Amino acid sequence: MPRLTIDDIEIEVPHGTKVIDAAERLGIMIPRFCYHRGLGSVGACRMCAVKFLQGPFKGLQMSCMIDAQDGMVISTTDAEALDFRRHVIEWLMLNHPHDCPVCDEGGHCLLQDMTVSGGHGMRRFSGEKRTYRDQYLGELVQHEMNRCIHCYRCVRFYREFAGYRDLGALQIAQKVYFGRLADGPLESPFAGNLVDLCPTGVYTDKPARFRARRWDLERGPSLCIHCSLGCNTVAGARYREVLRQEARLNEEVNGYFICDLGRYGFAYAGHPERPRSPRIGSQAVGWQEAVAVACDRLARLGPRSIACLSSARASVETLGTLKYLSKRVGSDHFVCFYDAAVKFKMGEIVSKLDGRTAVSLRDIEKADLLIGVGADPINAAPMLALAMRQAQRAGAKVVMMDPRPLFLPCDFEHLSVSPELFDVCLSALVKSTFDRERVGKHGEAAVTLYDRMLSCDPLDASVQARLEPLIAVVEGCRRPIIICGSDIAPASSVSFAADVALLMGEVKDQSGVFYVLPGANAYGAALFDAANGSSFESVVQEIEDGAIKALIVAESDPFRYVADRDRLQRALNKLELLLVLDYLPSETVRKAHIFLPTRAIFETRSSFINQEGRLQVAEKIHSPGTPIWQVSNKGHPPRLYGTGICGGEPRAAWRVLQQIAHTLVHSQNEISENDPWPVIGGECAVLARHHQHNGPLHGLRIIPQTSTAAFFDGDLDLQPKQPMDGHLTLLPVVSTFATEELASYSEIIQRVIGSPCAYLHSDDAERCGLLDCDRIRIAVDDGFLEIDLTVSDKMARGFLILPRHSRFEWQKLHCFAQGLPVEKIGNCTP
Amino acid sequence: MWFLGFVLLLLKTAIVLTILLGLAAYLILVERKLLGRFQIRFGPNRAGPFGIWQPIADGIKMILKEDTIPQGADRVVFKYAPAVVATVAILIAAVIPFSRDAILWGYDIPMVISDLNVGLLYVLALSSLSVYGVALGGWASNSKYSLLGGIRGAAQMVSYELPLGLSLVPVVMLAGSFSLVDIVNAQACYPFVVVQPIAFVIFLIAAVAESKRLPFDLPEAENELNAGYHTEFSGMRFALYFIGEYVHMMVLGALVAVFFLGGWRGPWLPPVVWLVLKALMVPFFLIWTRATLPRLRYDQLMHFGWKLLIPIALLNILATGAVMLWLRG
Amino acid sequence: MAGNEVNILRAFYEGVAGLASAYRITLKHLFRKPITEQYPEYKRPLPARSRARIILTRDADGDERCVACFLCSAVCPVSCISMESGEREDGRRYAQWFRINFARCIYCGFCEEACPTLAIQLTPDFEFCQRDILKLVYEKEDLLVDHGGKNAEYDFYKHAGVAVKGDKGTHYQEAAPVNIKTNLP
Ligand code: SF4
Ligand code: SF4
Ligand code: SF4
Ligand code: FES
Repeated sequence: MPRLTIDDIEIEVPHGTKVIDAAERLGIMIPRFCYHRGLGSVGACRMCAVKFLQGPFKGLQMSCMIDAQDGMVISTTDAEALDFRRHVIEWLMLNHPHDCPVCDEGGHCLLQDMTVSGGHGMRRFSGEKRTYRDQYLGELVQHEMNRCIHCYRCVRFYREFAGYRDLGALQIAQKVYFGRLADGPLESPFAGNLVDLCPTGVYTDKPARFRARRWDLERGPSLCIHCSLGCNTVAGARYREVLRQEARLNEEVNGYFICDLGRYGFAYAGHPERPRSPRIGSQAVGWQEAVAVACDRLARLGPRSIACLSSARASVETLGTLKYLSKRVGSDHFVCFYDAAVKFKMGEIVSKLDGRTAVSLRDIEKADLLIGVGADPINAAPMLALAMRQAQRAGAKVVMMDPRPLFLPCDFEHLSVSPELFDVCLSALVKSTFDRERVGKHGEAAVTLYDRMLSCDPLDASVQARLEPLIAVVEGCRRPIIICGSDIAPASSVSFAADVALLMGEVKDQSGVFYVLPGANAYGAALFDAANGSSFESVVQEIEDGAIKALIVAESDPFRYVADRDRLQRALNKLELLLVLDYLPSETVRKAHIFLPTRAIFETRSSFINQEGRLQVAEKIHSPGTPIWQVSNKGHPPRLYGTGICGGEPRAAWRVLQQIAHTLVHSQNEISENDPWPVIGGECAVLARHHQHNGPLHGLRIIPQTSTAAFFDGDLDLQPKQPMDGHLTLLPVVSTFATEELASYSEIIQRVIGSPCAYLHSDDAERCGLLDCDRIRIAVDDGFLEIDLTVSDKMARGFLILPRHSRFEWQKLHCFAQGLPVEKIGNCTP
Repeated sequence: MWFLGFVLLLLKTAIVLTILLGLAAYLILVERKLLGRFQIRFGPNRAGPFGIWQPIADGIKMILKEDTIPQGADRVVFKYAPAVVATVAILIAAVIPFSRDAILWGYDIPMVISDLNVGLLYVLALSSLSVYGVALGGWASNSKYSLLGGIRGAAQMVSYELPLGLSLVPVVMLAGSFSLVDIVNAQACYPFVVVQPIAFVIFLIAAVAESKRLPFDLPEAENELNAGYHTEFSGMRFALYFIGEYVHMMVLGALVAVFFLGGWRGPWLPPVVWLVLKALMVPFFLIWTRATLPRLRYDQLMHFGWKLLIPIALLNILATGAVMLWLRG
Repeated sequence: MAGNEVNILRAFYEGVAGLASAYRITLKHLFRKPITEQYPEYKRPLPARSRARIILTRDADGDERCVACFLCSAVCPVSCISMESGEREDGRRYAQWFRINFARCIYCGFCEEACPTLAIQLTPDFEFCQRDILKLVYEKEDLLVDHGGKNAEYDFYKHAGVAVKGDKGTHYQEAAPVNIKTNLP
């Protein structure tokens, strides 16, 4: 641990710390443009010059390029260094335009700060300024190249860090240009990070273009709830509307960056059609009346005739209070997952994630072998792909088992096998790493499982040949991590992945399993949903039987997920009471008998548990209310206000649910009105222990150190079924930005999602007489579904892969669960 | 007989009150006008020609204004404190003789409301009472500015009470009486200012301090204490403090006339006119001073009173006594 | 000893003389002619830079100058300026609405000083008080005038370098845009 002296203060820092970081630990911010801890140093801007007085280096040096070493004595305020930095600023400003007033970076611009603090005010040079033409970079990022100071942060991120190729440095010498070869949207789903990274206003946030200055925003720590990773963000709101989000550093989760879904998905909260007042039927009413009528109608129903439905996007607060309510009204049904299989998998995952098996996104970057099992990171959890790329840049090997034609921004070995073969493949990959003796330490069950692995059927020759070299890699690696999806992966694989991770822990330095879950708070939902046996399927059944007469839906929209919508529709029509609490203008909300508006994540403090069991908190950013521009229709806002905020009625779901619960059972609540946690703790023992009032900023892992659940209890699926002749297996999968529910209400995201596209293996395509880019038509009960086709040979045979795209009615295909006869596919290419 | 005396008394009181209050009201206008001119401005000139309706407009405004009582104030004391100041100032006027006795139908009618034989003590006693108005008003407001103003006022008035009284001792020695009528009569040949210039100056200075006007306006020092002890008063209560101050100025003028300038005595003009003219000199001087001198610092004020005025006043008494003894023989 | 007494006497004399001269000077003023201007009867022409009612001026070519940069609202010590910026069809940044609450404004002129486009300017017109305080809330249409105010010839977009008025490279002190399709110097 080197000790060095910076500005007369001594400090000891870990090996490999840059001097610029060492100074920052002391609270000394050395000016910088090109250096970024997430990207490393290049020494391009010369802004971080400091004077080295003693030690291995002498004189003026770039503090971002030099590792701290013992005995260094450094002055950041030496006259020579100050003068140098002043000149750097001056020459950077030679070509910088004077357009701060119309630049969105103004107010949080690093260059502005440095210019002002460097004391540079007047341009002394009277020559001409260099200019560039700007490019259209899509709907998310605005380009204004004149402002560039050539720090190279953008290309370093875009090409090196994120692994995309369509943005780069062009031209030479002092004319270097950062952009694409031609106008066109940036291909990377991480392009929004350029906005955060660029120290000047070359890339600015396009949806928030010209909307506000940083100093006018109500900003606060928030979370992305569009996938299960739980990336940290800073949300900025103005005039009752979130205008933009930035990445918030969380060393354990997302690091310095977030994906574009997280950055631009927020617009659902300001949706123009968002329901904002309580409603009975189609009649808007006051809160008091709505709650009273709801309670009254619930009270008239018998204890077993009420069911509660929530979802994986609801916060821990909502879920916990709904659970509490469901118990209070004597309901047997508390459901968070629409699909019994997903629910079962979630149960497995929650019971098997513990201190030994769970890994964070940061651990992935440190792994040297990543084995994907039915996971599609770019589509299901984009930031995972970025972490995987970092692992690979550090030398890790990536193996993905998936029937889909995967894309990752890094090199990987793709085993395009059908989900039924995941267990076999994984067994074949890892079994030689273990020996009976080591496995025996985990007990009888482990040995049985090991025997099953050994006895697994040989795969077909081509796969076997691909596996051979990988087996050696698995044997040689030290830090393997299994990345397992929860969507197309069968239940047996989900639990098998954890078993393998646990066994690996025995023979490797570090190992673990990283699950990709079906929602921001899927882990939390599973915590509450685990104990009872009912599924949404059985709820619908009981509604049809007339046993359930009321359904309370909190922040959930079954219409989006349930395949058989007509049946759901009929079932809901039979209900005596459909009570819906939500903040989206969803189908279910429209059908509600009584509707109560709730607050979105930005309007109330709420907690979510990500895929590794990390409880994180999003703070309240602003008070609810209709965005001013919607009230005033872009003209000036009303000059007179009544009392209360227009559209400010939504309340936190947990408050409403708690109120209903207490009204129904006439208990003057023994529990605080302002804190949902006592109630939550009462419903879930794990959460009672980790009372999240003021948890650490990077979240709190609530998983047990050692899970008491039985590992090695799953049955391996080693006998894959043969598909029916002349049939294709349908595989509805997630698609980047287009599947996620909240994003489908986000106008910004809707602008950028591509059109839906189906995938078919080239052999199958040939069999059906289809070509790449054909438009196909699938005959369903009541008409046809049309979709563009992409033919690929990087995917498993016998599958038709369809996106669960918000503009494609995949639900209609539920009748082909057993397989789609090829004759149902027609070609409708014009 | 007693009935007639009573009616006469009422009549005299009414006349004196009317003149006094009228003068005081217009003194306010005069002060604003004069200050304006001292500062090369016009002063109030919008209400009527030369602004002569200004006092009336002010009066109406004061009466109509909301009477606010701050939260936490001592309501009873707060309500009555302003009255003390005004009452005391007006009561002093009772002993001031405004003319030689009139003979009506063979009756000798004294032209003073009440010729007390201890008139001078009465004057001193009353003027020291007015400190209660200031101190209580300041305390009752429950405001830090008022409290500080009240404390300053109390300390200042107690301190300047002494030189005020001491400067009058030579006058009493010369006149041989405490009665104000006798004092005026004693000045038949020459006004006392001729023989007692030092006492005159001391009295004048102490009187300024008593009336809390510049350069001794520390109790209300606007730029330090907002308005000092009457910060929290509004409407008629505030007006009472104001009236008190201006009546006090007039009364002081009359007292200076009585003690040093020969009271109503003077050639050609009627005695009352002489008295008013003499009495108006002091307010004019006070206004002139206000336009001229800056406010003293608090320590300077105390220093000046205790270490300068009192010793000089004492020496003046000794000197007067010595001269009188020497003259007698 | 004697010297001391002389000193005291001199100090006394000087004090009295000083006071007397002060009284003399004020007395002299009493007889001077007042210099007051009688306001409603006589309206003094105010200098162009007097600070009263605020206007939003226009460019030489008649377009709104304000680019809704929020600098004036940021600098305003009483926060009486509010606005919402937006992008016009032609890509120009403008104020969708712009509101000044003159009931709050203290006419400090900071906004004018901060404005990079010389859009917001204070004018000598100070006679616009109202009994209804809401009438003092001025909207953009009330503020916008059809002239350039002081420095009418200044045009922000000729200096800024963004391609709003004229293409890149056509503004003041600008070189022609870099051609990215060639590596020739
Ligand atoms: S565009 Fe921005 S990030 Fe890229 S080199 Fe220029 S200043 Fe740096
Ligand atoms: S003059 Fe001063 S107070 Fe008035 S709007 Fe401008 S900055 Fe604000
Ligand atoms: S400072 Fe000028 S350009 Fe900027 S918003 Fe205010 S008036 Fe408009
Ligand atoms: S920050 Fe060190 S050279 Fe740019």
